[in-house]
Formats: sequence, structure tokens, C-alpha cells
Amino acid sequence: MSARFWRGLTPPLLVLAVWQGAGLAGMTDPRLIPPPAEVAATAWRVLTDPAIFLALGASLGRCLAGFAIGGGLGLVFGLLCGLSRPADRLLGPSFHALKNVAIFAWIPLIAMWFGFGEQARIAFIALAAFTPVVLNTWEGVAGTQRQLLEVGAALRFRPWQRLARIRLPAAMPSLMTGVQLGLMHAWLATVGAEYFLAKGTGLGGVLIEGRDTFDMALVLLGVLLLGGVGLALSQVARLGGARLAPWRGDLV
Amino acid sequence: MSATLALPRRKLAPTAWRRPGWPVALLLPLAGLLTWLVATRAGWLTPAILPAPAEVWATLAELWQSGDLQSHALWSMGRVAQGFGIGAAAGLALGAAMAVSPRVDDYLRPSFLAIAQVPVIGWVPLLMLPLGIGEALKVVIIAKAALVPVTINTQAGIRAVPRGFVEVAGAFRYSRSQLLRHVVLPAAIPPIFTGIRYGLTSCWKALVAVELLASAEGLGFLLVWGRQMFQMDLVVAGIVVIAAVGFVFDGTLALLERRLQRWRTA
Amino acid sequence: MIPLPRRLAIATATASLFAPRILRAQTRVVRIGFASIGAGNRQFTGGSPIAASHAEGWLERDLTDERGLQIQWSFFAGAGPAVNEALANNQLDFALQGDLPAVIGRANGLRTKLILANGVNNPIYLATPPDSTITHPRDLRGKTVAWHRGTNLHLAIAKVLAANNLTERDLRVINLDFAASDAALASRNIDAAFSSPVLFGLQRRGLAKIVYSTKGDKPGFARHSHLLVQEAFESANRELTGRIVNSFVRSSDWASKEENREELFQIWAKSGHSLENFREDFEGLPLAFRNGPLLDAFLQGQYRIQAEQALEHRLVRRQIDTASWFDTAYLDAALRDLGLQNRWQRRDAEGREISA
Repeated sequence: MSARFWRGLTPPLLVLAVWQGAGLAGMTDPRLIPPPAEVAATAWRVLTDPAIFLALGASLGRCLAGFAIGGGLGLVFGLLCGLSRPADRLLGPSFHALKNVAIFAWIPLIAMWFGFGEQARIAFIALAAFTPVVLNTWEGVAGTQRQLLEVGAALRFRPWQRLARIRLPAAMPSLMTGVQLGLMHAWLATVGAEYFLAKGTGLGGVLIEGRDTFDMALVLLGVLLLGGVGLALSQVARLGGARLAPWRGDLV
Repeated sequence: MSATLALPRRKLAPTAWRRPGWPVALLLPLAGLLTWLVATRAGWLTPAILPAPAEVWATLAELWQSGDLQSHALWSMGRVAQGFGIGAAAGLALGAAMAVSPRVDDYLRPSFLAIAQVPVIGWVPLLMLPLGIGEALKVVIIAKAALVPVTINTQAGIRAVPRGFVEVAGAFRYSRSQLLRHVVLPAAIPPIFTGIRYGLTSCWKALVAVELLASAEGLGFLLVWGRQMFQMDLVVAGIVVIAAVGFVFDGTLALLERRLQRWRTA
Repeated sequence: MIPLPRRLAIATATASLFAPRILRAQTRVVRIGFASIGAGNRQFTGGSPIAASHAEGWLERDLTDERGLQIQWSFFAGAGPAVNEALANNQLDFALQGDLPAVIGRANGLRTKLILANGVNNPIYLATPPDSTITHPRDLRGKTVAWHRGTNLHLAIAKVLAANNLTERDLRVINLDFAASDAALASRNIDAAFSSPVLFGLQRRGLAKIVYSTKGDKPGFARHSHLLVQEAFESANRELTGRIVNSFVRSSDWASKEENREELFQIWAKSGHSLENFREDFEGLPLAFRNGPLLDAFLQGQYRIQAEQALEHRLVRRQIDTASWFDTAYLDAALRDLGLQNRWQRRDAEGREISA
């Protein structure tokens, strides 16, 4: 266990200590903020029930499916607008207007086209992942430094060579950021989809049930599970990103 | 040493305010409007789900005349402005700290990522306890929506400054602050602004989530109310207004970014 | 000359190639949607006879002899509004909804028929923090009160307030859904909340106390739910609709028998909502009072009043005719078939019992 790992663990441990201490000192109402022991007991009950792994699998599945679709489309759209002036001027303004609309508002249209089953949920998640990927890809590709492009001109690169050899590699840091944000918002949207378009199982169900029955221990467990899985997803994405763009400049 | 370094400028990122592009910008929306009209006439869409453009226009006019639209818009803009201000400022500071100091990054990054990925419905029961159900709760949730992208993009942007630049600045014996002001920040402005602009977008999206949970006014409330009352023309009207207002806010940021770039070039 | 076994083999092989198409052509799907869902998105619900029918598979049991019939049950977390959207998109054939959402749907052009009552005379509850001084709706003047606007409760609350010489403007109203109002009440962020039986859970834990209920108060304060069918489906499937209504009336009969009370609550508890909540909600009144399927003069009158009040409160934008909305033919036929014509008490438009 490296020093990095322990440093990362410090804030949660601090929170745990404060949480337990406040409970012991009687500063919090145990019905509103259950003590860590109660949450641990609830965790034991939930995590030893095999249904939770089905739920986790279902949530991850739809998150990744939605992310793949939304992120893929976002990459294409971002590249299009970043590389082509006409596309930027035609599509850009409409995109910059519509990106501000919450996915919730699109639910009636999603329901009209996709029904209210798994397809609708994946569409919802894809929409959420789309915007951050577009923005970061666009900025990454459009902002390629002039000197690099001049080198390409000097070497008489053809357009696709310019794209593959110069623009894409230079855009990698931004692309990676876009992918990371896209994945985060896909995970957030997964719970949103399970809340608004509820059917089948999902990890969000823990949180939703806690809310429905006002079981604060379950709510806290749901929060911890969702945050934890999200963190794990981010770490995996980061490792993948490090593989793809090892030359990323680091001030560190 | 006061000599400024002539660093290669990054090409300006496309913005929403390309001046000669207005007619082209309207092409797509007009095409969309036409498709919508045709689809309604031809009966391809369910009228209860997507009403005719004329109906939506009538609803917008009615809302404007009664003053409701302005009132709802002001409520929402106020919440977004406050939340965005707090969240973006905090995000810039946090992102910069995490980029510059690996120690800080080690301590904060995992917790930050975990907290960032818990959705609004998880936060509301918890934050309700200290914050109540009034404006404070709404502004804090909106601020959190801005915090995440701003932090991540700021950190990534600063980190992505090529080491070569830093080395050259070292050769010129730049101090830490000169390094930051003349080398790092100008190079990092495009990704940072991408983060800021997406932060604002996230604020608008979070606004709807927040006004869904506990509100009686605002553009998000209009959307939710419209959906509940099965009056989709209200929903579409809300979407149109949010898109328009959001576009203006976003465009302002883009303009700010260009000004900042131009100033740096001087 | 091909030998017989060979011929048979070829014939079977050819037939099996076409079998899927034939089977598919013969499979009919009936799509039934509930405007409610279990706790944690469980695909069950409670509180009505048809909820029990789904949980126990009674409809499937009664229709086993229908060849190629598949019944699809759906539960909508978005409640009434989501069901309206699904009806508009032709994604549902039958729906279980409350009175107000259905009125809103009809006002916006949905073409449906009300054919069965399913959970009537449902009370609403008013709760406050445990140490509050509020004991009755009349004490609510100037207080911060929460409820889920636009749902079934909204009009019932309006009537209760009116009966106490109050309007919404005399209170500070906050729009919260059931879960959020639970949390707000428990954390004392509001003075009071109107809500559903979920409040019993809070009361049991000492986080709230229920100070008033419309149970036992004027009949007009209650809210009702029903089964409706899309006009297009009904006119193309009259016989099937009749059989479905038949099965549901049998379920209503079972759910109206006092000896089944505890078992009924256990069936409903599959939804994840606590059994005690159902028990306390139904305490003090015979099951037949709430689980009867009748669309009598009283109920039809109540729906007319809901439509009028919805217009008055600007929840809808045009007047709706409710008289032609009801189609009691299937219900009457089912009662005749099962010999249950006098099983449940009919009431006239004023709520007075009509002797059979």
C-alpha cells in the first residue's frame, strides 16, 4: 500500500471520525444520520444478498453501453466541428444552445421513440455522455498549435496525415479529459435513468429504496456505493488513458 | 528579467459568436422547425407529446404577456449565477491546487471523484439536514454541478502544458508567479475555458433537477409542471427559453475567452 | 415414390420453418401499466385489488385458456404523467391511474374509457413534526406546508382547505414528492405535510405525528383510482376486455372479504412498502369500502367534480365531459356472470347508500 493510497484515504477517514464522534456526542439524531455501525450493518445485509451483484452488473452494463454510444457519437461530432469550419458554423450554434437543456426534458421524446425499457435508459445515458465529449474533443482538435501544423506543411502532409499524425495526438489530453467527464456523467445519468425510467434492476435502487422508505442508513449506503463504483470507473479510465497517451506533458 | 517569451499561440477555439456566421447559424434551427411543422401536419408525431409549433408559440406569448416568463427566468438566472459563481471559483482554485501540488492531488482526488459521481437525488436528503429546503440547498447543488468539470479541466489543462515551455521559461529564470502568468495560464486557457463553459451548462442542467425536487418557480419548475400537467407545449416552451438563455450566457463566456486570448497576445 | 417416413420428415421440417411466424402471428400482447411502483423500483405495487392480481398472477390464471396471449405489466416511476405519455404513444392498452391524472390525460386528448374502479375512497393524511401545535387543517394558516402538487392529492387537499375556509394562498406551499416530504418533515424543514400512508412509517419511528385524516370525514374528500382502457384496443378486443374485467372483479371480490385482510396486506407488501402502513391505512373501515369495483352514481359524480375543480384550479385548460367517459357494460356483465350484483354497496350522487 503506497503512500499515495494512504493519503487518498485520509479525507474519508477524517469524515468517518467526525461522523462517529458527532454521533457519540449526541450532536446528530440517529434517525436522521445513523451512526457508522448502523450503516455497516445495513451494508452487510445488502451486500450479502446476491441480488446486489445483478444490480451492479445491470447498472454498469447500461452505463458502459450508453457511454460507448454517446461518447462515440460525441467524438465524431466534436471532430467534425473542430476540423471543419462549415460544420462548426452550421452545427455549432444549435449545439451550444441545446446543450444547456437538462436530459430530464428529453424524456417524453425518448419515451416516444424508445418506449420505456432498456433502450430508453441507454439513450438517456448516451445523451448525458455526448456533451462533455463533444466539447473537449472540439477544443482539443481545433486548438492544435500552429507550429505543429507548420511542420506538417513543411513535410507536405496530406490532410488525413495531418489529422492522424498531428492533430489527434496533440488533442489527446483534451480527448482524455472529455472521455473522463463523459464517463462520469454517464454514471450520474445511469442513476437518473433508473430513477425516471424505472424498470428492471440497478444499483440506484438502493438509494431509491432508501428514499422511498426514509431509511437513512440505506440512503447513506447508496451514496457510498454509487460514489465508490464511480471512483473505480474513473480509475480504470485513467489507467486506460495513461496507456493511450503516455506522452501527455506533465508539469509534475 | 522582463523579456517576455514569444511562445507559439494556440489557435483560437471555435466560439458561438462568429460574427459573419449568423445566417448560417440559423440554418439548422430553421430546418428543424420546418421538419417539426411537416411532422405535425403529416401526423408522424403524437400531438400530445410534441405539440405543433404554433401552440408552443402561443404559450410563449401568453407567458410573456402575463409576466410569468420573465419572473421564472429571473429566478432561474439568479440561482444559476450564484451557483456558477461559487462552483467555478472553487473549481479553479481546486483544479489549480491539484495540478500544481501532487501532494494535494493525492489527498483530494479520490474523495473528489467519489463525491462528484453521486447524483442529485442522493445529495438532497443529506444536504437538506444542514441547509434546509430553501435557496441555499438549490445554490449549493448547482455550485457542485459547476465544480466538477471546472476542477477536472483546470487540472488537466495546467498539467497538459508541455514541459518544453517550462524548461524554456526556466532558462529565462522566470519566477514561480511569472511562470504561471506568462507561460502556464495562457497555454491552459482553452481547456480551462472549456471546463468553465461546460460548468455553466451543467449548472443549467442541475437547475432543472433542483427545481424538480422542491420549487414553485423557475424555468425548471415550468418544465416539470408542464410535464406533470401533460401540457407539453409548456415543456417545449421551457426548453426553448432555457436553450436561448443558456446560449447567451455561454456566448458571453466564449467572448470573454477570446478577449483574454487577445490580451495575452499583446 | 418417396417413402412415408421421409415425407413426414420433410413435412415436419417445412412446417417448423414456418412455425415461428405462425406463432408470432398468433401471439397477442396485452399491455397493462400502473401509475405507481414499489419501493426501490420493485416491479410490484400495492393498495388495490388489481395490484394483488398482478402479484399473485390471478389474471394469467383466469386467462390460461387464451391461446397465444401474453400479458405485459409495467410500473411507472413517473406516476400519472408518465402513464399519460405512454397512453399517448400507444405503448399501453390498459392503465391503472388516479382520478386527477386521468382527467388531465382526457383533457389533453387521450381517448380512453373508464371500465372499473380499483381502489376508491382513499384517504389523505396530514402530518406534522412530533411536538407541533398544529392539530387540524384549520391551524395551517400561515404555515409552511408541503404536498405533491398535480397529483391525486392536490384536489382533495384543496377541498379540505376550502372546508376550513382556507385557500392555497393562506399557506406557504412547497411542492415536494412523497420521499422528499418525508425527509423535510423528519428534519423539521416544514411545518406540515399532506401525504399518503408512507407517513405511518415516520410516525412509527417518532419522526412525525399524523394529526388529521380524511378517513371518516366527508365522502367528497376522498380520492379514487380506476382501470381504464384505450378506446382503440377496446373496440377491437371486446371479448378479451370482458374476460379481463371479469378476472379483476373476482380479484375485487377476494380483496373485499374480511377473512383475507392479513393475507391481502402481505401480498401488497411485496411492493416493498411496509405491511404496517397498509394495515394502518385500512384500519377502521371494511375492505369492501375501498376495494369494490363499482362505478356507481357517487363515483361518477366525484369524477365530474374532479374535472370541474381541475379546470377551476387551472390544472387543465378545457372542460371535460365525464359522463361519456364511463362504460359500465363490462362491469355489469361481470357482476351478472359472477352473481355479485348486490355484493357491494351502491351510493347515490350525494354519497348516501342506496338500498338494493
